[in-house]
Amino acid sequence: MRWATRAGIHIDRAACAWLIRRHIDEQAEFIFVADPADIPPGATAFDIPGAELSHHAGECSFETILRRYDLTDPVLWRIAAIVHEADLDDERYDAPEAPGLDVTLRGLSMIRDDEEILRLTGPVFDGIYEYFRRAMLLGREPA
Amino acid sequence: MTHTGDGPGEWVLLSYRLPREPSTPRIAVWRKLKRLGAAQISDGLVALPAGARTREQLEWVAEEVTDAGGTAAIWLARPATRAQQDQLAQAMAAARAAEYQALIAAADAAAAAAADPARASAVRRLRNEFRRIQRRDYFPPAEHDLAQAALQALATREEAGAQPVPRTGQPASRARKRAHRAQQETA
Repeated sequence: MRWATRAGIHIDRAACAWLIRRHIDEQAEFIFVADPADIPPGATAFDIPGAELSHHAGECSFETILRRYDLTDPVLWRIAAIVHEADLDDERYDAPEAPGLDVTLRGLSMIRDDEEILRLTGPVFDGIYEYFRRAMLLGREPA
Repeated sequence: MTHTGDGPGEWVLLSYRLPREPSTPRIAVWRKLKRLGAAQISDGLVALPAGARTREQLEWVAEEVTDAGGTAAIWLARPATRAQQDQLAQAMAAARAAEYQALIAAADAAAAAAADPARASAVRRLRNEFRRIQRRDYFPPAEHDLAQAALQALATREEAGAQPVPRTGQPASRARKRAHRAQQETA
């Protein structure tokens, strides 16, 4: 399937792309557009104003995708809290990891293109997922 | 936005109209714009220095407006004169300066209070508040450095425990002098 989002990706779009590839569509192909009008027909848009898989009711696109695809994994929702705070910074959640991740993504966007950022952040989100998976199993900080 | 060029930089504008009732979405949008530190140009027209992040943030607000039954549009624009841009920038800097001042007052009050567990939480709370203000501070006023110094003094005081630490000779006084100079230069 083809998925389209705005070029110049940041935390929400990078996290959404990871979520889509890991939990929704393994074969996902991503297209980055400068203008919403450039979304090719048949592609599913995300994190673009006006798209269904976008910000809604104060939630970021990552949360919207979790809801839309009935993903109830609590580890993914813990990551959603981090993405939400890194993206919106409205203190809805207690996510101290958010500012660090925000800076990481902002910095990456200055030195790499979107394709490369997806390639680099894939393992980062995999690692974050594993960390919180273990933390939930142990009921404390792992390692 | 570039401050180094000769002409005014690029700004991202949000023009919007929301029904007067219900008031909840109006208030939500107003709060969001306040949190972003947007400059109010006129009724239903706000501006931020253009950048990937500011543009995206205003785009989400625009979406929220249309979701609530209003109309909104995003524009990229340049003030026609530098004076006009300076006016915007000064208004924004003054708004942030007032917020930093409130933070300094709170930090000084916490530092002056007797040592207690509340001081540790004051350090955390005020650091968060500082970060929040800093994120919407596009034209840092002198008070930025003063607030940072006041926070540092409070944190030092907190680490030192119950022992009072004199404020003089701390980075705070240096920053105050610098701020004073900056004010004189702009005056």
